[in-house]
Amino acid sequence: MKMNNFKMQSKNLHLHYGENHVLKGINLGVRPNEITALIGPSGCGKSTFLKTLNRMNDLIDNVKIEGEVYFDDINIYDSKVDVYLLRKRVGMVFQKPNPFPMSIYDNICYGPKLHGVVKSKFDEIVEKSLKGAALWEETKDRLKKSALSLSGGQQQRLCIARALAINPEVLLMDEPTSALDPISTIKIEDLMSDLRKKYTVVIVTHNMQQAARISDRTAFFLMGDMVEFDETEKIFSMPKDKKTEDYITGRFG
Amino acid sequence: MAVSLYSGKTSKDKIEKIFKYIFFLSAIVSTISIIVITLYMVLSGGPAILEVGFIEFIFGTVWEPTSANPRFGILPMILSSIVATFGSVIIGVPLGVFGGVFISQICPKKLKPIFRTAVELLAGIPSVVFGLVGMLVVVPVVADIFNLPVGSNLFSAIVILTVMILPTIIAITDTSLRSVSQSLQESSLGLGATSIQTIFKVLIPSAKSGIMSGVVLGVGRAVGETMAVIMVAGNVVNMPKFFDSVRLMTTGIVLEMSYAGDFHRSVLFGIGLILFIFILILNILLNIFLKRAGNHYE
Amino acid sequence: MNKKFRLFDFFLKSLIWISGIFIFTVLISIIFFVFYKGLPSISWNFLITAPSELDGTIGILPMIINTVYIIVITLVISTPIGIFSAIYLNEYAGKNKLVKIIEFTTETLAGIPSIIYGLFGFAFFVVGLKLGYSILSGALTLTIMILPTIIRTVQEALKTVPNMYREGALGLGATKLHIIRTILVPSSIPGILTAIILSIGRIVGESAALIFTAGLGYSLPSGFFEHVKSTGATLTVQLYQYAIRGESLEIPFAIASILVIIVLIVNIATKVIAKSFNKER
Repeated sequence: MKMNNFKMQSKNLHLHYGENHVLKGINLGVRPNEITALIGPSGCGKSTFLKTLNRMNDLIDNVKIEGEVYFDDINIYDSKVDVYLLRKRVGMVFQKPNPFPMSIYDNICYGPKLHGVVKSKFDEIVEKSLKGAALWEETKDRLKKSALSLSGGQQQRLCIARALAINPEVLLMDEPTSALDPISTIKIEDLMSDLRKKYTVVIVTHNMQQAARISDRTAFFLMGDMVEFDETEKIFSMPKDKKTEDYITGRFG
Repeated sequence: MAVSLYSGKTSKDKIEKIFKYIFFLSAIVSTISIIVITLYMVLSGGPAILEVGFIEFIFGTVWEPTSANPRFGILPMILSSIVATFGSVIIGVPLGVFGGVFISQICPKKLKPIFRTAVELLAGIPSVVFGLVGMLVVVPVVADIFNLPVGSNLFSAIVILTVMILPTIIAITDTSLRSVSQSLQESSLGLGATSIQTIFKVLIPSAKSGIMSGVVLGVGRAVGETMAVIMVAGNVVNMPKFFDSVRLMTTGIVLEMSYAGDFHRSVLFGIGLILFIFILILNILLNIFLKRAGNHYE
Repeated sequence: MNKKFRLFDFFLKSLIWISGIFIFTVLISIIFFVFYKGLPSISWNFLITAPSELDGTIGILPMIINTVYIIVITLVISTPIGIFSAIYLNEYAGKNKLVKIIEFTTETLAGIPSIIYGLFGFAFFVVGLKLGYSILSGALTLTIMILPTIIRTVQEALKTVPNMYREGALGLGATKLHIIRTILVPSSIPGILTAIILSIGRIVGESAALIFTAGLGYSLPSGFFEHVKSTGATLTVQLYQYAIRGESLEIPFAIASILVIIVLIVNIATKVIAKSFNKER
């Protein structure tokens, strides 16, 4: 039984990077099957916060993390947690498309192979994942071609497909369209509203229109604090905080 | 709910740890090697040096290892090594720097890859091949030109060493010059300087640390070279004179190792130890230059 | 511009041209001279017989075999150690003191001249470990000698693997080891190949480190393990032997031509690898 109706929840989360206090006590709950957008000016901590949700910050030297992050009812910073299993269930899509230098097919199978899925299921997984990322029609005849031969937008959808191939429950997206052209961006936004049906999505974006278009809830970050967190509609129509209003009306950032 | 977040952690972590350990052990192989090499050189050569007497060993001028009353002075070898190295550096460095300038700045674009390949080839040719060519070409030609009965001497050794250190100096000069920023060069040209003025007033000074490290590497190669020198230097223990046969520290070791008795052999290790210390000092110098070069380009 | 300046400019420019052409001429002459003197003496018989007073043959087959033995044994030991070191330095170690020490000692190892390796190999492997003058002693000595080359070349290759591949794989739940196995090592294959080829070139050209470790033997092998334990001269060492005996210079020049051809092949191979790698990107 779940203690609450959050898929993931941070409690009083602090993060120090050396001398810098990057996250200053974040309390944020992500609801299942919703898209939660994190917005704010550069350096506000939104990307850092996103990476605490699958512990990608563990890689960096002299990072200190205090507080708790719950995935269902498990604190993922508990020493007994297997971080690799966590990342299987909390997938990630990065700012720059980063397909591996191998074939499209092998890119999708990388995760399943890693987590011990039997080979006979690969064909099915590849088709399902590519369909899930709206890339199947474009690539079904060239699955053995190098993934690097795809266009930027296709590469990013491949990365989404690659993340879907291991059946995550949560999908973290770190400015997934910032390196893409407008048409590719629209395709990925369309895709995201489909993804919501099966997955819980947390997306960091610089683009406020994007947050307004696709997300159910939006959190506004500023200098390591979460200033405001509410339904997207409310944030964009009647923000409670003056700083939020300034930001979304373009007065700074 | 699917898999728990706890399962599988310990076995995976164990394998990760074991491999990290294996990688670490491999990484310290080179460090351990240096320590063991140093230890062996000191243990094999140190006692002999002490027994001969450090001063007598370094400054003694008589080398009679097999006489009834053996003498072990290696000053002639040390000085010959120094003069041979110095001589090849004096000729090789300007020639090599000019060569590097030629390849990176002056030579027509189409010829560049050919020249670079040629330099790489030169760097790869084994010492014994240089020695062989030296024996058959340099030695007789030196005898001819300077009207000597035999051409196996210090001068021939310097010629061969010069050719051998050229590729190092050319290659490093070439790369250091290429890494000097284009804008620096353009601004100098824009001020009305000629390309030659730009090369000597702007490019070479900014690439100085890089070029210096090339020089130190060249010195290292010349000091350590053995087989090529044996074949052209005549190998008599003499104080260094250009047209006299000489024996260097390196060649002194090779020439007598095969028949040396126990103590004699330890003394040869003593020569090796002195050479080793010399090389270590050069390496530290090199490191300083490289560090400066690194800072410079940052 | 001032006339004096222009003259000086012209002088320097000529000097650079002369140096460039001089260096190039010297190199080309060395190669042609070696080929001119050596190639005519190379015959099939020369390549497939052993030197023997009885049969009156002067072939170099044993030296070819010895050289191949030393190359194989040296690489079998040093390639994994070198790759693992590079992986450790690039993927695991942070920027602490230990890493600086390892990097400094690797640099230092690279600067030690062959003759010192020869002395050390003699004292440590031949006498200390009682391996005697043998192909094994020679190969172990060269293992240490070429380690820096392998470490450095593989490290360079690892550095060119974009960080986002590592991130992407981590995000899928891959462990570090898995990323090394599935992404980093495959992407570094060209670098690893280059390291191996460079090492082959270095081993083929080596002589001072081998005379007192692998010795001067010239008999044909009777079995792999026996041969590893017996003494054996490589091509370079045999060249030196012939040259200082001074009887005839035909054989050493023939060996020298073979060595230069190997160096040529090594150079071309590294170029081809680098090119095919760049094309892939």
